[in-house]
Amino acid sequence: MSYTLRGRLESRLAALALPFAAALVLAAGLAEWWPVGLAAAMLAAVLVLDLVYHPVLRYQPGWAALPLGLVELGAVMAVVLAFGVRAPLAVALGLFAAAWLCAQLLGHAFLPMWRLSYAEDGGELGRRGGALVAAAVAAPLAAAGGLWWAHLPPVVHLAAGVHQGPLVVSRRERLVGEPGAVVRGGIVVAHKDVEISHVTVVGGVNGITVDGMRGVVLDHVTVVRPQEDGIHVRGQAITIKHCTVDMTGVPYGQGIDVSYNMDTGETMIDRCTVVGGQEGIVTHSSSAMLVHNRVERTTMRAISMTEMSMGGVMHNTVAHAKGIGILCGDHSTCMIDRNRVTGTTVDSASGDRERAGYGLVVEFGAVGELGRNDLVDNPLTMGVFVGSLVHWQR
Amino acid sequence: MARVAVVGGGLAGFVAYLTLLRGGVEPDEIVVFGPEADPAGVWRRRAAAIRQTHMRSESDGHCLPSSFPGLAVREARRRRSLAPLARSVCDRYHATVPDFLDHVDELRLASGWSPRPARIERVTPVDGGFELDGHGEFRHVLLATGHPGLAVPEELRGDPRAVHAYEPHDYAESVCVVGAGLAAATEWLNALAAGSTVISVRRREPLRRPLNVPRPYLTRRGLAAFHAASPAHRAATLRELLVPSYPPGRAWDEPLARAGVRFRVEPAVNGADQVICATGFVRGAERDLLVRRLVEEHGVETADGRLVLAPDATVPALTDATRTLAVAGVAAQMAYPAADTLAGARYVAHRFLERCRTR
Repeated sequence: MSYTLRGRLESRLAALALPFAAALVLAAGLAEWWPVGLAAAMLAAVLVLDLVYHPVLRYQPGWAALPLGLVELGAVMAVVLAFGVRAPLAVALGLFAAAWLCAQLLGHAFLPMWRLSYAEDGGELGRRGGALVAAAVAAPLAAAGGLWWAHLPPVVHLAAGVHQGPLVVSRRERLVGEPGAVVRGGIVVAHKDVEISHVTVVGGVNGITVDGMRGVVLDHVTVVRPQEDGIHVRGQAITIKHCTVDMTGVPYGQGIDVSYNMDTGETMIDRCTVVGGQEGIVTHSSSAMLVHNRVERTTMRAISMTEMSMGGVMHNTVAHAKGIGILCGDHSTCMIDRNRVTGTTVDSASGDRERAGYGLVVEFGAVGELGRNDLVDNPLTMGVFVGSLVHWQR
Repeated sequence: MARVAVVGGGLAGFVAYLTLLRGGVEPDEIVVFGPEADPAGVWRRRAAAIRQTHMRSESDGHCLPSSFPGLAVREARRRRSLAPLARSVCDRYHATVPDFLDHVDELRLASGWSPRPARIERVTPVDGGFELDGHGEFRHVLLATGHPGLAVPEELRGDPRAVHAYEPHDYAESVCVVGAGLAAATEWLNALAAGSTVISVRRREPLRRPLNVPRPYLTRRGLAAFHAASPAHRAATLRELLVPSYPPGRAWDEPLARAGVRFRVEPAVNGADQVICATGFVRGAERDLLVRRLVEEHGVETADGRLVLAPDATVPALTDATRTLAVAGVAAQMAYPAADTLAGARYVAHRFLERCRTR
């Protein structure tokens, strides 16, 4: 067929309407967004390719659908990877194959039978067809919007005043504290996709506990003097931003402890302030980005990335940590750049020479990618110990 | 006033009839005028004359209103094989002539096709329609009168050795084939197979391409610029597009290569025992009595001897909101360069249906 540009695009949209609808059904059934992301990636990739094909392919024989299909598969995979659509490979390939087959059946059989002049019109669907295609595209988009709207978690407003905890959040929701809302005794997040914002937590074993729940966001939360950790995260990557953790008087707890989530994505800790505690922010066997945080007066280390963790420590401010300011330890790989570490003190009681007031330590087989850090007013600037490696960024 | 008339009972008229039925026009609203009951009658005789075995057209070279299902699907179903479909997607499928004729017969019997045996020689515009030579008035008329006759070079008229390729003939010991299109190429192979020595006489080297016209001209992609051009420019384009051609492929080349000295090209007709004129059809609006009268009596515009038509193959001077005069077949080439093919017949039929359905 010698497609016109309009014909190519209309035929394409008509062919994608059904897979798009199937993706929506899948998304609704699974309560997941990746089918919609996958369908959107397919739509974007093939429409762009259609614009490329048009001047090149004045005539497109039937067999060309096969190599072009492979090109399109590659393009869709590239888009999926670029935008981080987390679709299972087998299902994604299945959906693509179904969409391809659907396009072949439509283009070669159903559309020519439905619109008699389809072939000689170069794939154009006419006024009625154009309207139908528009509707066919708009309907899934509207449905996607509706689905998105329907999937928005319910918002629970926590009234001002003190609420006795521990508070267990056991469903998907946005818990929003009104000014002055305080939970005494801690919060336990026991469901995925929970967002907590503008809540102050006082006490509790841990201030906020997130154990194995994905998609959790803590935004503008304040934790004050828990018994152990301020924010305690295990087994899943989450997002923590604009938080305040007051660990003064808690000598053995960590301000924010993110552990054992290496295979679940990257945890983001952004613009948090931690004061006191044993370690301010610590990761074990996790992938994390720690950026724009401020950590003060910790008794062991201000920021630690250790036990085969991987990630970045950037644009943080560390002040008055005892022993070590920033640590990259135990076979971790850390990108450490544009941090400011000042006023580290010697931990002479420990008898550990690594804790002699270093601004930055890379130790025990760790790899540090170091940029321009500002390590001033510390007894020792930097230490590299026990088989570790440091690369300097130029 | 009756609704729709199709003047011409050949393949183009048949395709139009089937398309009108498919489009919801009632059978009793359609009158077809044609001299014989078999819509493929003329085509069948010509194909037999040149011993054509396969169609030049591909899977969609059929009489159905939509391009799908084509003849490849029909054959695949009959043979329970995917091979015809595989050949079709590679543009390598060409139905056999018997298969095509069977398909026409099936459709003819199933559709209730029964043309009125009348020859229409004059179309007279009347208020809201056309009067057809004393056979009634119709609001929408499609002229599908076919080729006006066989073309024989002037210098060969009266030559007792000369026979047109589309007339029944056998092969003499030495055969001169005049022409360079599909019929000529078919005759080269036929005559060689019959043991003759073949002399090809042609004014230009034949063009090798799968179909009569480049494929983009079969769709709006190529047609858009063609339709936008002036009539003179369109006529010039047609002269370029419609030069004699036949398909590429070993099936055509190998017999010629094997023939050796039994096949040669010469610039002029020589003393061969037989001269086969594979020179196609006479061309021009003046050669068809009905069309000539339209031009002479109603001032219908022509360019380079061809009717100037709107993109939907209607005659602009005689078509308005209330009535339609459209043209199919070779006379519609100013609307669709491949109008004398089955795809062309379908193109015109679709547009004619659109007018009949909406007016």
